Formats: sequence, C-alpha cells, structure tokens
Amino acid sequence: MTSQALAWRTLTANPARGLLAVAGVAVIGALLFDMLMLSSGLLVSFRDLLDTAGYDVRVVATDGLPVLRVPIPHATALAADLSRQPEVQEVAVFRLDRVLMTMSGRWPEGVTLISVSEGAERHTWRITRGENLITGEGALERRPLVVSDRLATALSLTPGSIVRVRPTMSGVASAIPEMEFHVVGVAEFEFSMADDLTAATTRDGFEQVRAGRAPGNKDEADAVLVASRPALGSEAAVTAINRLRPDLRAYSNEQLVAQFNQNGFSYFRQISFVLSSITLGFAFLLVATLLTVSVNQRLSEMAALRALGFSRRRIAATLLWESAWLVGVGGLLALPLGGLLALELDRILRAMPGLPERLHFFVFEPRAVVRYLALLTVTGLGAAAYPVWVAARLPIAATLRREIVS
Amino acid sequence: MEQARVHVGDVVMLAADPDGTGATPFRVVGAYEPTPDPMKFTAKRIEARLHLPDLIALTDPQSPEAVSVLNVALVDLQDADAFTLTLTARMPGLAVRPTARPRDGRDPFGVLERFHWAIAIVTVVGSTAFLLALMVMRAEERREVIGILRLMGIPGRSILVEVLLEGLLIALAGAVFGLLVAKAAEGVVNRFFQWRYDTALVFVRVTLPIAWQSVAFAVPLGVIAGLVASWTLLRRDVVSLVRR
Repeated sequence: MTSQALAWRTLTANPARGLLAVAGVAVIGALLFDMLMLSSGLLVSFRDLLDTAGYDVRVVATDGLPVLRVPIPHATALAADLSRQPEVQEVAVFRLDRVLMTMSGRWPEGVTLISVSEGAERHTWRITRGENLITGEGALERRPLVVSDRLATALSLTPGSIVRVRPTMSGVASAIPEMEFHVVGVAEFEFSMADDLTAATTRDGFEQVRAGRAPGNKDEADAVLVASRPALGSEAAVTAINRLRPDLRAYSNEQLVAQFNQNGFSYFRQISFVLSSITLGFAFLLVATLLTVSVNQRLSEMAALRALGFSRRRIAATLLWESAWLVGVGGLLALPLGGLLALELDRILRAMPGLPERLHFFVFEPRAVVRYLALLTVTGLGAAAYPVWVAARLPIAATLRREIVS
Repeated sequence: MEQARVHVGDVVMLAADPDGTGATPFRVVGAYEPTPDPMKFTAKRIEARLHLPDLIALTDPQSPEAVSVLNVALVDLQDADAFTLTLTARMPGLAVRPTARPRDGRDPFGVLERFHWAIAIVTVVGSTAFLLALMVMRAEERREVIGILRLMGIPGRSILVEVLLEGLLIALAGAVFGLLVAKAAEGVVNRFFQWRYDTALVFVRVTLPIAWQSVAFAVPLGVIAGLVASWTLLRRDVVSLVRR
C-alpha cells in the first residue's frame, strides 16, 4: 500500500475527525484568501476605475488628489494649449460643484453637479433611460440635465421632469434664485459616490449655476483630464504638461495609485497583513496540533508498521500525505467559500461613506490564488514537520513494549 | 516641522494662494502634536496654527466675520438631532452635523466595526470546527477509561458532569490565556500602528466589555464542544468502549 493510500485510510477511519479538520481548514483558508484579496483589492479596483475612464493624466491646481476643490482658471485656453502638445492625444475639462436640487413639494437634496467638455461624456456616464445632453441651439434655454439613477429615485425624476437648481454657499444661507433644468436622461456615472446624488449638465448650464454663486469666475475647471499618446506614454505627457505649466500639478494614473497606496489604502493593507499572519499562524498551530495528537495516539501503530518493515521515509511520507489531504482538500474548498465570504465582506466595507460606487475592496486576481496556494503549502509542510520528526525518531522496541505493558 | 525643515525661531512665508500672492511673514514660536483624528490618521498633516485675526487677514480680509466651522455645545446632548433639524430648516445650505456617531452605523467606524465583527464570527466558526475535531480525538483517547468507569458502575450522568466540569475549567483557562495574549498584543499592535502612521491614536484597546464578550463566546463554546464529543462515547455500548 502506498503512503498516499495509507494516509487516506487513516483519515477516513475516523470520518468525523477528518471532516471537522477539513471544515476548519476551509473556513480559516477562506479568511486567508480574502485577506490576500484585500491586500491589493482596493488598489486594483482604484487603478481599474482610473484606467476605464480613458484618461491617464489628471491636471489640478494644487498638490494632492484632484478631488481637492481648487479651481484652475482659464480652463479652455489651458485645454487648447495641452491639445497642441505632441505627447497629448485628447483633453477633457472637468467641472464640479455642489448644488441644491428641488422638485415642487419636495425637500431639497444636495447634489454634485458636473460638467465635462464635449466628447468626454462617454467616459463619464452611460445613458440608461432618455437621451444624452444636447448642445448648441436650444440647449441654453432648455438647460438639459442627466441625472444618476439614485437621484432619479430620490426625487422621482424621469426624462421630461423639470427641477430647480441653486448653488450651495459654504457657511451661509443662500438667497440666490433657483434655475429650472430639464431632465433629458438617466445615467450610470463612472465616478459617482455610493452615497452621493449626481447630475450632469452642459458647460453653459453649469456656468449659469456657478455664476449665481461667484459672478465673474467663468471658465474655471476643477480638473483637466488628459489622454496621452499611447506611443509616448503618460509619463512623457506629465513631463510635457509640467514644462508647459509649472504652476499646475499633473499626475499620471500610476502616480495617483501610488499616492492612494501610500495614504488612503495603507490601513487596509496593514489590516490584511496582520489578519493574514494571524490566520496563517492559526492554521499552522491547529493542523500541527491535530497531526501531533493523531500521531501520539498512533505511536504503537507506527512502531508496529516500522517493525513490519516500513521505512522512516515511508512513515514520514504517510504523515505528509495526511497533512496534504487535510490542508489540500480544506484549502481547495476555501476558494469558493472565500469568494462568497468576500462578497459579504465587500458589501459591508462598501457601505463606507464617500466611496465611488464602482470601487471594491476584494478583487479576485490570479496572483492572490497563487500566493494563497503557496502559503497554504508552506503551512501544510510546516505543520507536518513536528509530527514527522516524532514519528521518525520513534524507538520501535520500547514503544511496542510500552504498549503491551500498558 | 520635520518635512518642511522648519525650526522654532524661523521666519516662514504663508500665503492663501498657490502662487504665493500676498505672502506674509510669520515667526515659528513653537511645535505642537496635532489632536489625534481617526478620520485623518493616514494623511500627512502639515498644519500651522495662527492667531484668528492673523488667519483672517491672510485668507479673507474682506470677511472678518466669516468662519469655516462653528462648534456648538448643547445644554442637553439628547437635543442634538432636534437642534440639527431646526438649524437646517432655518438656514438651508448650512451643513449641520452632530458630533456623536450616527445611530444607523453608516459612519466609517460603524462600517469597520461590522467588518471586524464579520471577521471575528468567521474565525470563531473555523476555530469551533478545529476545537470539535480536537475534542473528538481527545474523547476517543479516553474511550477505554470511560468504558472502565462505566463497568465499575459509575453512571453516565456522573461521567458527563465530570466532562462538563473539566471542559469548563479548560475553557476558562483558555479564555483567560487568550485575554492575556490579547492584552500583551494590544501594546505591540498600538506601538506598530502609532509608529507607522506617526499618530498618538490608540488602535486596539482590550476593554472590560470586550473581555466579557470573548469569555462569553469562548467558555460555552469550549464546554459544548467537549460535551458533544463525549456524548457520542457515552451513548455507546460499554463493551464496545473497552474494545471487547
């Protein structure tokens, strides 16, 4: 009988014990797998969010992330200057403001109003009902508005609804007159926050709202988004923009991800490291204890096998196979279990306020599976080391004599 | 001060505009440890404190009465929600927020608490499976002893009580040991995160309610695992227990 078959028979001789041990490994393995997904999930998701927007460089007025609200003056001229750079393929101007939106007979809702330059809409939202923003003749009087699904639900809006919009004033009550906007479509916004209401309008509509709050501050942008020429890359575009406008800050997606990794994400990375280490240590201790107790109970059986001619190597191989069965079967079961658990943990963490809807904490990556399997293999081998050592050093005659005398 | 290489006594120029327009000289008179803020602990806080008139002159000299935030202390803390509603209704556009954590648990710490609870539950489920496996092995180890005790006429109920008491003692000892490990780890984890984020925030605190929660989880779990494992033996025939 091979060592593998002998290990299998030993485990199946006591199915309750085997099943419980496999279940324990599966649950702890699922947690370990999830922590490995968490260790890079937010970063992968953030990078994906930035990359799918279609722009790989963000230009803002000051240091820090572009969400900081420091406007860039003369945005149209800047966009034209940037477009002329050989490293730049496409430029979009992004404007953002907080407004109060009301429907007759309803309490006003705080809404993030955005405006992007023509052509950038396809990267920013996807129409699910109605039509997209119209520009040109008629747009100025009609003031079109595309609203997010959540905003449409909150204010019971459909294409054709009319809403009144007023800019919010920081720290003071506002008496600025409201403006009527016509809802033309409902859309899914790429960067909308999970707990935020979002709407988009044309540049004219946006500037009319902003003019009510800060007359004279026309043609300001919150960020200018740039798509670099693929042949030259984003770093070349960043260098060109910094050379052209040293007063502004240009960040490539890689630099933004690095900043995010350094600041916003580091807590979850540390937590996942701590929990992965604890989980691994826990799995190691428990499998090692199970195998050691199992070996101690079967000392006489092993001595008898040695007396029958089983070599030390074969006994060691049998114990290694036992560990491999427990950790292997439990570890494989942990993958789907970990996937399900990750869905629930992700749902809990995504309730965090102020996060983009499309951001996820747990992201499946083949790299996480490879790391998980490698760690589990090392744990299984490590857990079997002590019982193997005990079994290999077993004095055959003394053990058999002790068994008979006892 | 370390990042900007500024020392007490240095004169620095501060401006409200990124281009440095209207920069004003200020003398650094001291250094302070910022009040730990759990919402900002991952951010590098580069801050300076000025006298209010100096700050207003620097940022918005046209509006000497303008402020960014007003902190309000209520006579009765229970009135926070009512006060928030009243003020919001009177001054639409003003962001009024109670400082107490919202009861619906939608704040970041409520979310983190639920996340940690979920992790704790999964860990307890996994360790229960292992505990049961170990208890089954231990019960199996004592099969013959239990068989002999029953042959001697000791009723199964007495053996079960003995197992229960033994399980209780082991579970209590395990829970106390676990708490001691947690207490020892508390300092290590706090020192690590305080060093990592350069903050005085306390990240882990083993409080009495948490200790009681852990004991309330661990002790019944240990006792039940021992009882379940032994119960299967006690239900067996005495002859099969002594392998005859």
